[in-house]
Amino acid sequence: MDLLHSSAWLQPAFNDPVLDAQVSFRAALKALAEPGLAQPLDRALALQTLQPATYALCLAFLDADTPLWLAPRFDTPAIRANLTFHCGCPIVAERELALFALLDEGELHDLSDFDNGSERYPDQSCTLLVQLAALDGGAPLRWRGPGIKDVRSVSLPLANRFWQQRSARSAFPRGLDAFFAAGVQVIGLPRSTRVLIDAEEAA
Amino acid sequence: MHDNPQIATRQRWMGVLARAGAELARYESALKETDYQLIRAPEVGMSLVRGRMGGSGAAFNLGEMTVTRCVVRLVDGRTGYSYVAGRDKRHAELAALADAHLQGRQQRDWLERLIEPLAAAQRARRAAKAAETATTQVEFFTLVRGED
Repeated sequence: MDLLHSSAWLQPAFNDPVLDAQVSFRAALKALAEPGLAQPLDRALALQTLQPATYALCLAFLDADTPLWLAPRFDTPAIRANLTFHCGCPIVAERELALFALLDEGELHDLSDFDNGSERYPDQSCTLLVQLAALDGGAPLRWRGPGIKDVRSVSLPLANRFWQQRSARSAFPRGLDAFFAAGVQVIGLPRSTRVLIDAEEAA
Repeated sequence: MHDNPQIATRQRWMGVLARAGAELARYESALKETDYQLIRAPEVGMSLVRGRMGGSGAAFNLGEMTVTRCVVRLVDGRTGYSYVAGRDKRHAELAALADAHLQGRQQRDWLERLIEPLAAAQRARRAAKAAETATTQVEFFTLVRGED
């Protein structure tokens, strides 16, 4: 009676599956197009520890073709049941197989196992969906690159270790794209964005 | 049918509900007596129908058909599912509600009140159709032509 058991966890997802998914997807696109600018994303309700913006990203992105890796904090029966029911996405135990990864700030110190794509298919890299407690409050860093006029100052509360891991995994066109979500907001960080740490001035 | 009798029974009533069509509307008020929420609002989609030549050959794609599905949850936590052919959202919602009610303590009551009459009507319809078709049957005989 596995089915009867798991169905007890199910909750409604988007109110309007078509429009809400489109609005959420649009917000995610906008977040990547203008890295560092927070976009509103409030079309879903929170699901246990998943905040509205994080859950909306999942509902908009995931389907049967996108294996998902879950951080231990999000690996609960309710989150599993709802993601498999509403998105139909396979949940994988190996990070290498995942096209999306749902992370919290505790998982950002080691990104080495996530797929960063290949020279021929850089688009097949793993996209990181990171839920944070807030989107500001960290040290202000200067972001540069496509979608940013000159320089944008962004102060995500992230440890230095994340930025080291990110640059270790990026060899353009290969690299990891990330979304940072907190509450009902999302910030995009595509692989093309250069983040200047301290005085080291990358051209 | 499934080996597990519990699942086999549920398969049967889900089949009856899926074929019930507009007849379910008669039970609408009874089905909606309890409060419920839509886990998955009725939605229309396509489903690929596959078959096997002769029932045992290699699988082939027969074609796509329209399917409407729905999932509801009653206040007491029972969850009902439905998949019905066509694009009738009301039918899908009522069938899911009936599935949820049928999993409760009043299962026997619901079976007698809802499923058995529907099943009987479907049986009668099928028999009538079969009888009508039977009158068009042509039997072929080959007469010995005496060539040999």
